[in-house]
Amino acid sequence: MSNLVAAELRKARSIRTTWLLTAAALGFCALWTVVSVLTLDDPGQAGLALEQRVQNVYQMAQQAYLFALILGIFAMAGEHRHRTLTLTLLITPRRTRVLAAKLVACTLIGSAIAVAAVVVTAGVAMPLLAATGRPVIVPGIAAILAGSALSTVLYTTLGVGVGALVRSQVAGVAVAVVWFLYAEYLLVWLVPAVGRWLPGGAAKAVSGWNLGGGELLPVWAGGLLFVAYTLLVTVAAGAITARRDVA
Amino acid sequence: MTTIAVSHLSKSFGSVRAVDDLSFTAGPGTVTGFLGPNGAGKTTTLRMILGLVRPSTGTATVGGIPYAAIDRPIATVGAVLEDSGFHPRRTARDHLLVVCAAAGLPPTRAIDVLREVDLMAVAARRVGGFSHGMRQRLAIATALLGAPAVLILDEPGTGLDPEGVHWLRGLLRRFAGRDGTVLVSSHVLAEVEHLADRVVVIARGRLLHAGWLREMAAAGAGFEQAYLDLTRAQREDVR
Repeated sequence: MSNLVAAELRKARSIRTTWLLTAAALGFCALWTVVSVLTLDDPGQAGLALEQRVQNVYQMAQQAYLFALILGIFAMAGEHRHRTLTLTLLITPRRTRVLAAKLVACTLIGSAIAVAAVVVTAGVAMPLLAATGRPVIVPGIAAILAGSALSTVLYTTLGVGVGALVRSQVAGVAVAVVWFLYAEYLLVWLVPAVGRWLPGGAAKAVSGWNLGGGELLPVWAGGLLFVAYTLLVTVAAGAITARRDVA
Repeated sequence: MTTIAVSHLSKSFGSVRAVDDLSFTAGPGTVTGFLGPNGAGKTTTLRMILGLVRPSTGTATVGGIPYAAIDRPIATVGAVLEDSGFHPRRTARDHLLVVCAAAGLPPTRAIDVLREVDLMAVAARRVGGFSHGMRQRLAIATALLGAPAVLILDEPGTGLDPEGVHWLRGLLRRFAGRDGTVLVSSHVLAEVEHLADRVVVIARGRLLHAGWLREMAAAGAGFEQAYLDLTRAQREDVR
């Protein structure tokens, strides 16, 4: 199994896409951190205490999630796109092992991106907050950064499941983007009560997002729910691919 | 001694019977040519031997074991399939190193096989820029990586220039000469005539003939005529 994980890590390392997605993820974190510091006094946030608003700045470490998700989707769907799955399965005929190795490898890659995202976010936030005369350190920052990092890792892993299920890079990314950027917001807008039970809401709970109303699940419950979504998608993909002919 | 054994193998795709109760063997020390018209079921059969396509009924084994049950299968069987996929952004060397890592082979094997297929000069280049012939060489290098006892190749000559075809023929002959088992599909009779010791001829998923090529060639008007006679009944059936 460790051979397979090592091979998956090498696969990721040897193509530029991995590095470009990582750079984009970190760039987004930096960008959103700057934006959130600049909009700290916006009327929209007026209901929140300064402490909570500063916490939300650090929460921007979560903004790596979309690229982490795409990276996971590419890792699995790319095998179909470039027809490398045949060789992968010739080396490892047991398909569940291939899927498991992808999950483990992408969790590791996601962890590396998550740690880098935390460093970038804190590195941008701290001097900016200090320069604009806001408190740099407020209670709960460590938990927020840890939660944001965890949510990035979880999204990478979810991407593998989505990629395995959808099997097309383009369709996988389209599904993910439409869901997490539009569909879920629309659903929450229509039926606010379901928000906390949806994947995006679960991930926000993990990353300690302050919505002012406390309508998200506790961190642990959000984490478990997100992992449950990932398992659901991955097990469904595994069940479908286990017997499918590779032609 | 590693023999490929196909026994009462069948595969249906919906109502289409692609392979129909097919049985044959390919043994060590010989090159077995796997012949048949387009759509005869050659590729499906090879993919069933390699565990990529699940048979409807029957079995296919290598050395008595189904492919999927072989421990480190690429150290026993090397395969070159028609659609050998490479990530276009990955270099030839990285491609082979990924396979080495996954199969637990020493990375030095990558260099060995690159040398063997004469691709050392382009090892650090991305596969996306390779010609068809270079891809085919890389596919063969990948098949040789695990130092297997068996080679299974699906139309490996397609797209190779005459020099490449000559090179491939020499490589497969040497492989069989070292007691390796080679099963190679083709629809180019001239190619097979110069390469194979034995032939297995199928059409519409069924076995038409299995035997020594020189016996087939010696009877009557030569190998090509013998093949055409064998497959004629099938072709007239279709009309």
